Amino acid sequence: MRKFNVWAWFIFLVGVLYFFIPLFSVFEFSMRMLKGRYTFEAYRVAFSDPAFYEHFGFSLLWAAITLVVSLLLVVPTAYWVHWRLPKIRPAVEFVTLMPFVVPAVVLVFGLIRLYGSPPLTLTTTPILLIAGYVVLSLPYMYRAVDTGLRAIDVRTLTEAALSMGAGWGTILGRVIFPNLRTAILSGVFLTFAIVMGEFTFASLLVWPAFGPYMEEIGAMRAYTPQALSVVSFLLTWASIGLLQWVGRGTAAESQVAGAR
Amino acid sequence: MAYLTINGVGKTFGSQHWAVRDFNLEIERGELVSFLGPSGCGKTTTLRMVAGFETPTTGTIVVDGEDITNQPPNQRNVGMVFQSYALFPNMTVADNVGFGMMVAHKPKDEIQKRVSELLDIIHMAGFGNRFPHQLSGGQQQRVALARALALSPRVLLLDEPLSALDAKIRVSLRAEIRSIQQQLGITAIYVTHDQEEALSLSDRVVVMNAGRMEQVGAPFEIYNFPTTEFVAQFVGTLNTVSADVVDPKEGILRLEGQQIQTLESLDGVKANDKVLTAIRPERISFLADGEKANLMEGVIQSITFLGSIVRIQFQVGNAEFHMDTFNNPQLDLPKIGDKVQVTFSRRAVLVLTSGGTA
Ligand SMILES: Nc1ncnc2c1ncn2[C@@H]1O[C@H](COP(=O)(O)OP(=O)(O)OP(=O)(O)O)[C@@H](O)[C@H]1O
Ligand SMILES: [Mg+2]
Repeated sequence: MRKFNVWAWFIFLVGVLYFFIPLFSVFEFSMRMLKGRYTFEAYRVAFSDPAFYEHFGFSLLWAAITLVVSLLLVVPTAYWVHWRLPKIRPAVEFVTLMPFVVPAVVLVFGLIRLYGSPPLTLTTTPILLIAGYVVLSLPYMYRAVDTGLRAIDVRTLTEAALSMGAGWGTILGRVIFPNLRTAILSGVFLTFAIVMGEFTFASLLVWPAFGPYMEEIGAMRAYTPQALSVVSFLLTWASIGLLQWVGRGTAAESQVAGAR
Repeated sequence: MAYLTINGVGKTFGSQHWAVRDFNLEIERGELVSFLGPSGCGKTTTLRMVAGFETPTTGTIVVDGEDITNQPPNQRNVGMVFQSYALFPNMTVADNVGFGMMVAHKPKDEIQKRVSELLDIIHMAGFGNRFPHQLSGGQQQRVALARALALSPRVLLLDEPLSALDAKIRVSLRAEIRSIQQQLGITAIYVTHDQEEALSLSDRVVVMNAGRMEQVGAPFEIYNFPTTEFVAQFVGTLNTVSADVVDPKEGILRLEGQQIQTLESLDGVKANDKVLTAIRPERISFLADGEKANLMEGVIQSITFLGSIVRIQFQVGNAEFHMDTFNNPQLDLPKIGDKVQVTFSRRAVLVLTSGGTA
């Protein structure tokens, strides 16, 4: 038993080092903008660039829109598949995996070819970008919601609500959605993280998003991009922490409900 | 006219196979009818058609003079209790019970009043603020019952509500369900594959097999006078033996070389035909002096204690029989291999219609 523990700790330590040394180096490097001493100068510079706010704000807005569209698309679809069409679940699952099968570059070139010229010119509108982001979010969003739906007995709960006179709005809003809160949140945070850092779509469709901005800064400057990486790491962790915190109450409940 | 009429109802799922076929039943107001049958015989499908979750392929369903065959489930005002309880995990007990009234936009104080009334009925007055996962299975099912009763449904439907519970609670809860149903005078259909449950709490039992109704009747009739071999076999234990007809008019049969007699004369058979007979184990007893009934001689094979009763297996010719006798310390049991004489009344001999001449 003791030997096992030693090894476990050893491997854990190696993992921690593997993960944290680069992160620490980045952090350390980002502090060395001024010669001879550690300062947060790089952070000050990064945050004082008006372009940073412009691009970050842009991505934030599109991330929010993507989330709304994605949720409106995925939650009712996944619910309906569970309740009425369980047989087509594998097919739907496969479709949501498209972004893993078709690389973003291929997808975006396809979109540009199809919608870049009349009769339907959409490249000048953000529709393609949103559409692309929604597709990118599908595997995460659908999986998260699907897992949440599996944990509750969708069919029986729906029928129970129906027998008490509830309509679809009430069922989705009062019964299904509240029981999917944790699942939906994890989908939301994952989608958010992906959209905020997305490069291919934004760059090729020429939108001023945060991903291309990071890329540009990285090519031109030495210290600020490191500072920005550290910041995005912290943002991600904050999201995960928030997720844990929000999900803490419901996890036990949905487990009990799922264990029936 | 009956309160609930199920008229010629049948259901296929896509293909040729009929899950339910030619189902005809009239249920009176305040009656509790149970559907009893083996797995896959169509009990749930029939119940779901009454609830509106499935649409009948043929036939009509009428409640209180209103044809509800094609009415959506959320307009039927039918209460439903599921095997898996199906309480809403995100709501408290009180909110679960009050859900239907909330949907119907009833005023808050009215909901509160009704909820506490119902919690009293199910003996869970102090539990309003608990969440479902903080309750035992039996408590959850009682809450589900209260929830289904909240809107005073026209019909209460229960689909194997006790199957997920352990034996002790099953027995006490079924008595409670029955007493609440009678107290409120509610019309109910109760689906189960447990014959004891069906027999103990129903006004009438519908025995189903392979999508068809086999027999409808009061528990006493179903148990004592099964009309088909399936019902006889499915409800209770039974000795079934084929016998040769000796005298149809007198109801005399020859069974493994021994003559026995039925109470009534046999229709539709003639001498030397083969019929299937059935005798319940508890109708057979050891011969005591002065009895004038059917007699059989057999050899004891095994004796099994089942608590309050003792089951004795014996052989007559090539046929095996079981008999049940009440356990008591003075019981003078034979030993294995003993030759014994047993007796049973003429009334105990059932001649089954289906498979009779096989
Ligand atoms: N949605 C469905 N699609 C296809 N076939 C179905 C469906 N629901 C039920 N069946 C079939 O209909 C038949 C009757 O099923 P039903 O669920 O009514 O049986 P049951 O008597 O309730 O059995 P159990 O005691 O196992 O619950 C079965 O053969 C079943 O496979
Ligand atoms: Mg069933």
